[in-house]
Formats: sequence, structure tokens, C-alpha cells
Amino acid sequence: MERSEITARLRELLLSANMSDPKLIESCTEDSRLIEDLGFSSAAMLYMVIAIEESFHMRFGNVGMADFKTLRDVVTYIEKALE
Amino acid sequence: MELSKEIFAKYTDAATLEKIRNYGTLSAMWRHCSHEYASDIAIVYDEKEYAFSQLDNDAAHYRAVLANAGIKPHDRIGILAANSYDFVKAFIAVTTFGCTAVVLPAQLDAPMVFGCCMKFGLRALIYQEQLEEKTLVAKEKCPNVTLLCAALSSETTSPIYDVSPSDPCVVMFTGGTSGKSKGALLSHRAVMQGVVNGCYGYRDVFGQRYLLVLPLSHVFGLIRNLLTSLYTGSTLFICRNNKDMFRDIAVFKPTLLVVVPALAEMALALSRQFGRNMLGADMKYIICGAAAVAPYLISEYKKMGISLFPGYGLTESANLVSGNPEPDLKPESVGMPYPNQELKFVNGELLLRGDNMMDDYIGEPDEKAWEDGWFHTGDLAHLDEDGYLYITGRTKDVIVLSNGENVSPAELEAQFNALPFIQDSQVFEYVTEQGRHVLALEVVPRPAELAKLDAGDTKELILDALREVNAKLPAYARVEKITIRDTDFARTPSMKIVRYKLGQ
Repeated sequence: MERSEITARLRELLLSANMSDPKLIESCTEDSRLIEDLGFSSAAMLYMVIAIEESFHMRFGNVGMADFKTLRDVVTYIEKALE
Repeated sequence: MELSKEIFAKYTDAATLEKIRNYGTLSAMWRHCSHEYASDIAIVYDEKEYAFSQLDNDAAHYRAVLANAGIKPHDRIGILAANSYDFVKAFIAVTTFGCTAVVLPAQLDAPMVFGCCMKFGLRALIYQEQLEEKTLVAKEKCPNVTLLCAALSSETTSPIYDVSPSDPCVVMFTGGTSGKSKGALLSHRAVMQGVVNGCYGYRDVFGQRYLLVLPLSHVFGLIRNLLTSLYTGSTLFICRNNKDMFRDIAVFKPTLLVVVPALAEMALALSRQFGRNMLGADMKYIICGAAAVAPYLISEYKKMGISLFPGYGLTESANLVSGNPEPDLKPESVGMPYPNQELKFVNGELLLRGDNMMDDYIGEPDEKAWEDGWFHTGDLAHLDEDGYLYITGRTKDVIVLSNGENVSPAELEAQFNALPFIQDSQVFEYVTEQGRHVLALEVVPRPAELAKLDAGDTKELILDALREVNAKLPAYARVEKITIRDTDFARTPSMKIVRYKLGQ
């Protein structure tokens, strides 16, 4: 799967969650920080992880939330997991 | 007004209502449950099943560990463990040995654990093996505190110690009604009332399948989730990691879930996203509290065949004060008050007294919290003509977020006001178009300071500075919406800001 495709699908997942400001999600870039820029709560982080696992048919290994600072970190993790 | 359990009689059958008995103490309750449900599964954790008889046996051996360490009934024993079978075993052992369990949140660091040993006068500290590092400061500085690994056992057993209902049972951390962290001491009477309160207002009470995702260091997790599950002879599945909760649900097929609204919202969002009920076809009830429940959650879950009950409680009231019954649920209310407590309203504030109330805060009794034996909840509330309770706000300036975190607007405002060109600010709760409860900020700039700035777009500059302050706040305390006012806030005669209230 192309990186741009992963990013687009991730944005779609986050938009449908209604757990952060949709305007922030729509205008987000790979540089957007999850907590500082997108205002993610711990529940929103949990949603993201579960939604990614379901949607991309993959599993997060033994990683903590602190390992993901920006959307880029998340997209890169998905990209590697799908390789 | 005084309340009795008869008002809940119509929501279940006579046999179930008859079974809902108050055994007075956890020792008496455990003696009954471990006998009555001996061969039933009490706990599922880490792919292992533990029957009531096994938990009883393991707790009896752990009581011997306590006895062999020289611990006596009425000693205070800390428990530092994440959600696990070890936590359950240690908690049952400590409380049925007549000791007071001081439940320490697993995320505390080593200096904080040491601080708790001192503050609460702990005689011993039981820790989960993987949290041993957090006991090192206490080990060095408190030689009188016996450190006991939760994995220990003894060849012998020690019997259940009979306590009286007024004896202390557990100390739980709370943000207090003012937002400052304290330890609330709950007696056996209070805990038992809290456990029994979890049985009212719905039909299928006993022999359920509970899922645990809330921390056991929170009263909602400990009392409504763990203890009511044990009391009702139900099976409790302890999730090791919340990110796996839906995989756990697919395997365990729970019938009852106890959650904060943020988790209920998350599960609903995922169900919509993937077009199926992520909570599983067996799920019947969601007990939702610790923060305001948006009414749309009730109607959306109803469409999925799940009853979501908003309720109200405090750490200081052994968790449960009121809950909505089925089918007479009123979405905007927090339900009907549970038995054996009294409610009164003074200047709109809810005051409580009754069997479920704490003795006091440990180490720092708060005289302001009490008035002639009545506890000040700090919540503005009223009852309707049918006896349903409604929470309309706080007497003190504390905002309770949907994840249960308490935020003090004054503390946040002080951070923003520290900017030289901000004259005043107000942090308040705001509901987005999508129905999310978030924090918002309005500021009034200082024109004189602004004039000093050599900047074209002062508004953008103010926003950048406010965003920078915001980013440094803890994640849960950040504001999502910032407005710069052209005029001052409305003021009271004493020039205080008139605070925005939700719904106005």
C-alpha cells in the first residue's frame, strides 16, 4: 500500500471518530503532533490504535503511546507492519 | 429524604431482590460468596480461569504470608499493582485479614510510593513483581514498612478475620471535591453498601459476565466492577491491555461493561466505523459514570440492543449514589438515589449522609467537607417529581471531563494570564457541534501591552503565544477552542468574572 494511501485512510478513520476537532484532522499533515496539535485524549489514542488494527489487518507490537509523537510516526509504523 | 430498596423492587424479580442482601462486611460477604459460588469462575486473567474456591484458597495462603510477616488486623497495607489476578488476591487477603487496604495507583513513581508509605502510615506494602522498582525509595527510606511481593505464598493458611461494619476497609485516592488529591477512608459498611447498590435497577443481576477495563485503583473499577462482580457470583474478565479489549470481548462474550463516557464513545465510534457491534451480541448493560453522560449515547446503544445506564457517584460515597433503572430511564438524569442514604439540598448543593459515606480523608481531615454529619458533594443538583436526580453544575470551579479527570479552570487560567498581554481569561466547558465536551478559552487582551508589540497581526501573535502555553499543559487539560474578546467579561458587583455555565 502506498504511503499516501495509508495517510488518506488514517485521516478517514480519525475523521469518522468524532473524537477530535474535524477541522484539525482535515488540515493535518504528517508533521501534526497527536497530542499537541490534534488534541488527542487517551481515549482518542486508544481508538486510533484499535481502528488501525481493524482497518489495516495488522497488530501493534509492544509499543507505548509515547512512541508515537506525530502522524508521521504512526504512518511509518503502519507502512513497516504491512511490508 | 430517606431511601429504601423497595423503590427498585419493580425492576427485577422477587427472587433476585431477595438475594440482594447486605452482609455488613467484606469478610462476611466473602465467606458467603466463596461458599455459595465455590465452583464458579470468579476471575479470568492472562488466559487462566480462577474459580471462587481457588481465589479463596489463594487469599487464605496470602493471609498467612501477612501473619508470618508480623502483620496484625487493623494495620494499613498498601497495594501497588496494575489490574491483575494478583491485585484481586491481595485485596481479598488484606481486607478479610481485618487490615485496611490502601490502594495505590500503579502509575505512581518511586518517590510518590514512598510519600504514600509515610502519609498513610503503612505497615506493609504489597507490590506486583514487575512494579518492584517503584518500591526502591520506600525500601531505602522506610525500613519499618515490610515489602511483600504479591506473588508470594505460604505453605499454611490463615482464617478470615471477623471485622465489624464500622471498621476501616479501604483507602482510595480521590481528586476530592476541590481537585486536590486525597485518600478517602471507607469502612466495611460503606464498601458493602456501595457493592450492593450496584445490584439495583436492572433485571439480570447475578451470574453475569463482567469485563474490567477501568483501573482497580479507581472506586468505579474496584467497587462497581470487581466487588459487585464477585458479590453477584459473576465472572470478571480482566483485560491486560485496553487496546485488546475488543479481541477479549470476542472471546469472553461479556454481558456487562462498566466504563467512563469517553470509553463508551470510543466503542460506539468503532462500531459505526466497522459496521458491527464491537461490544458483542451478548452485551446487555453498560454502567456509565464518573463524568457526564451525553444522552445520545443512550439512544445509540439502545439501537444496538444495549442498555446504557448513566449514574452518579463519588469516591467519598463508596462509588454509587444514584443510577438509572430500566425501563424507567431518564437520559438527562443520573437516576434514582440508592437505599440507606439521605439527600438534602442547601443553596442548590447536594449534601449526603448514609451508610455509603466515607469516614473522612486520611491524614488531612477536611472540616469544610462536612456540615453536621452531612457531606458537601460540591455538585449543584435537584430531584424531579419522580425522585430522579439531576446534576446541573459545580459549586466549586472544577470541570469534570468525559474521561473522569477533574480540571481546575483557575489553575489553567493562571497559566494563560502569565502572558504579559493577557489581562484576563476564562476556561470553560464547551460542547462541540458533534456533541463532544471539550475545554475552551476566552481571553481579554491588555491594549497597553499590545501597543508595545512591534507586530502587524497582533491577534495571530496572541493566538500563537496562547497555543504555546496550551501545548505545555497536560494532554487532558488542553483547550480546543480559543477566542480573543474585544470587550471585557461580564462581571459581578465584586468585579469577579461571571463564569459561563454549560447550557447557557
